[in-house]
Amino acid sequence: MGARPRRRGAAAVVTAGPVAAPLVLACVLAAVGYAVGAARLRRRGDAWPWRRDCAVVAGCAAVVWGLAGPVPGGPFTAHAGRHLLVAMAGPALLAAGRPLTLVLRLLPPGAPRRGLLRVAHSPAAGWLLFPPVAAAVDLGGLWLLYRTDLWAAAHRDPLAGGLLELHMLLAGLVLAMAVCRLDPVRGRCGLPLRAVTLLAAGAAHAVLAKSLYVAGPPGTAFAAADLRAGARLMYYGGDAVEVFLALVLAVQWYAAAGRRRARRAASVAVGAR
Amino acid sequence: MSTSDPWPGTATSGRPEPRRSLLVCAVVGAAVMAAVDEIVFHQLLHWHHFYDRSTSGVALLSDGLLHTAELLALVAGLFLFADLRRRRALAPGHAWSGVFLGAGAFQVFDGIVDHKVLRVHQVRYGVDVTPYDWAWNTAGLLLLLAGSVLWVRARAAGARRPS
Repeated sequence: MGARPRRRGAAAVVTAGPVAAPLVLACVLAAVGYAVGAARLRRRGDAWPWRRDCAVVAGCAAVVWGLAGPVPGGPFTAHAGRHLLVAMAGPALLAAGRPLTLVLRLLPPGAPRRGLLRVAHSPAAGWLLFPPVAAAVDLGGLWLLYRTDLWAAAHRDPLAGGLLELHMLLAGLVLAMAVCRLDPVRGRCGLPLRAVTLLAAGAAHAVLAKSLYVAGPPGTAFAAADLRAGARLMYYGGDAVEVFLALVLAVQWYAAAGRRRARRAASVAVGAR
Repeated sequence: MSTSDPWPGTATSGRPEPRRSLLVCAVVGAAVMAAVDEIVFHQLLHWHHFYDRSTSGVALLSDGLLHTAELLALVAGLFLFADLRRRRALAPGHAWSGVFLGAGAFQVFDGIVDHKVLRVHQVRYGVDVTPYDWAWNTAGLLLLLAGSVLWVRARAAGARRPS
């Protein structure tokens, strides 16, 4: 135990700064709140699959691990691992649990529920959750972080680093929600646009990861081996999250195609009668 | 075939769809070949390099797009295949020819465009790469040839058994 705080000090405390502790607390509360809410839904007879509880608890655990847990590897590899947990795997799992749907089902009719619906259906939310915009915000921020002096600035000022971490988490969540489209938000968005957005975002992530293999963020001097291990982790870790999101889309399509065909068959049967 | 249908009413007449079977399986074949390339040559043998020092910006971009497209194609192809099975619309002969055509097309594209035109990476480093390139592209052409033969046979079989 004695050696651990010193070893992970640089990567853990500097990136998340003063935002880490409240964020960890929020994640734990969110996981507990979700589980309690889902249990209430089931008690009153709603169908709420357990896999959604599992997704949200795993998502919260991923974020907490990324913010506060031990991560192996050199400083840049550890950063890539944390980034993968906080800004990609965690948000994707959280979005798969349909958090907004759960809250809307739990809230009784009244001002809080109306307010939440107003926000979810507002033009601003519609724009932010338009997949290309969500991807531009998330990946644009990532490119700025690794290819401008933002990295150096965020590592000088702990508060700026913490806010950056929070931004990455939220931007990842918005992108995952925009692509998966599992919650009732403003605007319908077809599968092709969401799939193309996932492709473009995945490609941008892969290109950035490969470019980091040879050139780290400006103003940093990571050891070459560390930089390479981190870039590989970013590249293949991004793949895993992409495949997860692609599976969500594919399952949606498969179920919708089955329903469409069943409807058509039913209407043909009615017409023949 | 099990009698319990998870999607009642979705099994339409069960008429085979050769064109769709071929296309869907070509997507799966190409994606599986890409996965084999990634696992065998990048991860197990360490022949391909993750990043070649001569890789240009265009090559990086095309590599990123192709790599992501492979992953999405693997997922999409398998679900489209499951949909064909669910509708009993799979034409097996065309499906197999599609797998080989897709795999061969990927292999030849990777061997010519990625390795030679864009120079993303080479088959192997530290050796004379010419025989490796020949083996790579010949393997791709053989896969394409096998797919074509299977396609011709599937078409002939289809013509003999008109629906």
